[in-house]
Amino acid sequence: MRLPRFPLLVALLVIVAAAYWYFQSQRAPSGETMAVYYTKLDGTSLASVRVSVRPRASGESAAEHLHNQVLYAAVEAVTGPPNDIKAIRFPPGTHVNGVTLDGSTATVDLSKEVDNQAGGSFGESGEFKALVYTVTGIAGVDAVRVTVDGTRLETLPGGHLELDQPLRRADW
Amino acid sequence: MSWISRFVALIGSVAAAATFAAANCAPARADAPLTAVYQGQSIRFSHIGSKDGAPAIGVNDPGFAALLHVTDSVLTWKPGERYVLITTSVPTVVSFAVGDRRYDIGPIVLQAAFAPYQRGNEVFLPFNEVLRGLDLALREDGAVKVLQPQLGTLDVRASRDRVTLLAHGGAPLHPRVVSQTSSAVTYAFDGVGTALAGTRQINAGGVRSVQIATSGTVRAPVTTVTVALQPGASARPPQNNGARDVALAINGAKASPQSIAEESPTPEPEPSGTENPGNAPIPNATPANQSAVVTGVTSQPSGAGATVTIAVNGNASYAWHRLRDPDNRFWVDIRNAQLQGPPVDQAAPSPIVSMRARQIDESTVRVALTLGQPSAVVVTPSANGLQIEVGNEEVSDDAARSGTGTIGTVVSSGEQNPALVTPAPANNGQYDSGTSGDTGWKFGPRSSYVPTNPRLIVIDPGHGGSDSGSEHGGLKEADLTLDMAKRLRDILVARGWQVKLTRETDVDVYAPNDSAHDELQARVDVANKAGARLFVSVHVNAFMNSGPYGTTCYISKPEDVPLARMLEAHLAQDGTKDDGVIKSHLYVTYHTRMPAVLVESAFLTNPSDYALLASAAWRQKIAEEIADGIDQYTRAYPASNAAAQ
Repeated sequence: MRLPRFPLLVALLVIVAAAYWYFQSQRAPSGETMAVYYTKLDGTSLASVRVSVRPRASGESAAEHLHNQVLYAAVEAVTGPPNDIKAIRFPPGTHVNGVTLDGSTATVDLSKEVDNQAGGSFGESGEFKALVYTVTGIAGVDAVRVTVDGTRLETLPGGHLELDQPLRRADW
Repeated sequence: MSWISRFVALIGSVAAAATFAAANCAPARADAPLTAVYQGQSIRFSHIGSKDGAPAIGVNDPGFAALLHVTDSVLTWKPGERYVLITTSVPTVVSFAVGDRRYDIGPIVLQAAFAPYQRGNEVFLPFNEVLRGLDLALREDGAVKVLQPQLGTLDVRASRDRVTLLAHGGAPLHPRVVSQTSSAVTYAFDGVGTALAGTRQINAGGVRSVQIATSGTVRAPVTTVTVALQPGASARPPQNNGARDVALAINGAKASPQSIAEESPTPEPEPSGTENPGNAPIPNATPANQSAVVTGVTSQPSGAGATVTIAVNGNASYAWHRLRDPDNRFWVDIRNAQLQGPPVDQAAPSPIVSMRARQIDESTVRVALTLGQPSAVVVTPSANGLQIEVGNEEVSDDAARSGTGTIGTVVSSGEQNPALVTPAPANNGQYDSGTSGDTGWKFGPRSSYVPTNPRLIVIDPGHGGSDSGSEHGGLKEADLTLDMAKRLRDILVARGWQVKLTRETDVDVYAPNDSAHDELQARVDVANKAGARLFVSVHVNAFMNSGPYGTTCYISKPEDVPLARMLEAHLAQDGTKDDGVIKSHLYVTYHTRMPAVLVESAFLTNPSDYALLASAAWRQKIAEEIADGIDQYTRAYPASNAAAQ
């Protein structure tokens, strides 16, 4: 007995479409995530938002991937959470020029706008705490050295925080 | 061949052809320059390419740089680097990577029309996706291309008695109310288009629904947001301060008019104990020996609910509580425990809304859950921690609202009586500059430092000379700190102390126009070379806005803790908020060899703190309270014991 072809074709297409939808829905949405810390307005408590981390691409070496992750983490930390979240933020316009890695120490080069601190220990301490916690959240990084427009410095102008040594989580 | 075989073959042929086409057609190519109008300003983009029929923009394009500039955005990229990151004014990071079609706008992962590609030393990005990240859209007005600002996001933050609509646009937003009745309010955003048109049902906080529509022309678009109100709800006048972010606030029927203006965090329940701000609480006393360590708090969906796993290394007791509906909060306190790492504050799978973990006092870790409904919760202890299962079914009214238990191998809760100990200072008494862990020193209050001049206290008036510190409303930090330091000196001298100020006038301690490092080191040198008993640096705090206020004692070393605690105890009565003791990597407290505290007395940028700082009587009070704290400390830690410490 010959079955009518058209209804079977439609049924098959529905099955294919359903299978496609199923496998798409089963895919991991975005893989790994990373905590981007920010310091709350009590001056010391940390909270975090999570952002998705791009997986290592083909042709991307482990060292390059680590560098890219550190860059992303530093940019996210300096950017801070969305505006409706109250947080200690880097001075307006502060951005990451680039990062380098030396062993487990990441050097984050910030733009000169970071010098425009309001004054007081409050902002400086909270800003760098969030940066250090975010960047050292990446496996293989345990310290963060800060430079400004490529120059090493011991403190910010008129500042309070010691920046001569790489900063670690244990400093807070 | 059956028809099924022919069908499969056909599908295969089509798939192969599509794959080949995707791999080979429409290679990247250079295109003619493009000129577009943004906010009346013409921007010429010359590094234009295209791929798969979609436009590409080169990151070195001067027009692209101009666009980033006018939208307050920043590009982070260097030649040879794979990642191209754009920080927008939201602020949000828009992330691209060469060879990857995926792009991210903050936490949202999207697929671009094509993957960024490299031509020579320049990376070309999918232009439409870049514009989307900047909340812009390329539109055509006849022959003219227009970069039309978009209402890119409209987040709805709903609670029981209010709704806040957070709008963000690709240009400064100037919302205006175009109609308002008891049942609806309509806001218009002139000059802004949107792809968000549609209706969203809210049914919470006084709002039934939100309808977004767009009209007008390409160059003069208008986006309207109509909020359908529930009975009794009211809308507050919108902000119109020219920012790209605007909050539209609706009060529900039961909300007080001012409640909408307040912060909306969910306060943590505090059934016992006291709030200890900060994730690195400084204890008043030495901690219990062999504290358990909470090594992780994670959540994941399970069945129809969610499971929170609290990993605990060691023995501890716990007590859990929950509040009654409608306040569906649950928390568990893990006693004799330390939280490893920073506090947790994050969303969690339904029916949990959010999850927080923090150290609430020196020996208690609290894990708190905000539940979206009165869900049943089952707490199961094990040798390795606690498992909290939150079901989808509702808890019964007669179910337990609290419980206790033990984790690990302890016999029962309440039987732990570990001896109080004072851990040895790190590195045989010499403070390790941070390479050691941070868990031991915070609880080691005694110093091995032996002052050569145990009657000398060095007071450091912050800033001075070429560095006046923060300035606000005619007051300079350097003047205020010198005034307070002199008052403190007079009090201490009257009580029999020798006092040395690092500066006695408005001068640099090291040299005029010196570096901050030289200046701070000079202040440290005054104390270190004199072998002073204590070092107290007096400062005035400041911030970017007027919100923060209060008094904070900053420290860096283990031996700073008890002095800071005693100063804080006296300064807590100073009339502003007690912001506690905060550990940080401040230069002067880090490099002084003796116990040292940097007192940030109040915020010059906060109106009420400013009024205090402007008062000579208040500055005298601060000086007396610091002196009282020093007296208490020196009585508790007499110099004769210094050698034994």
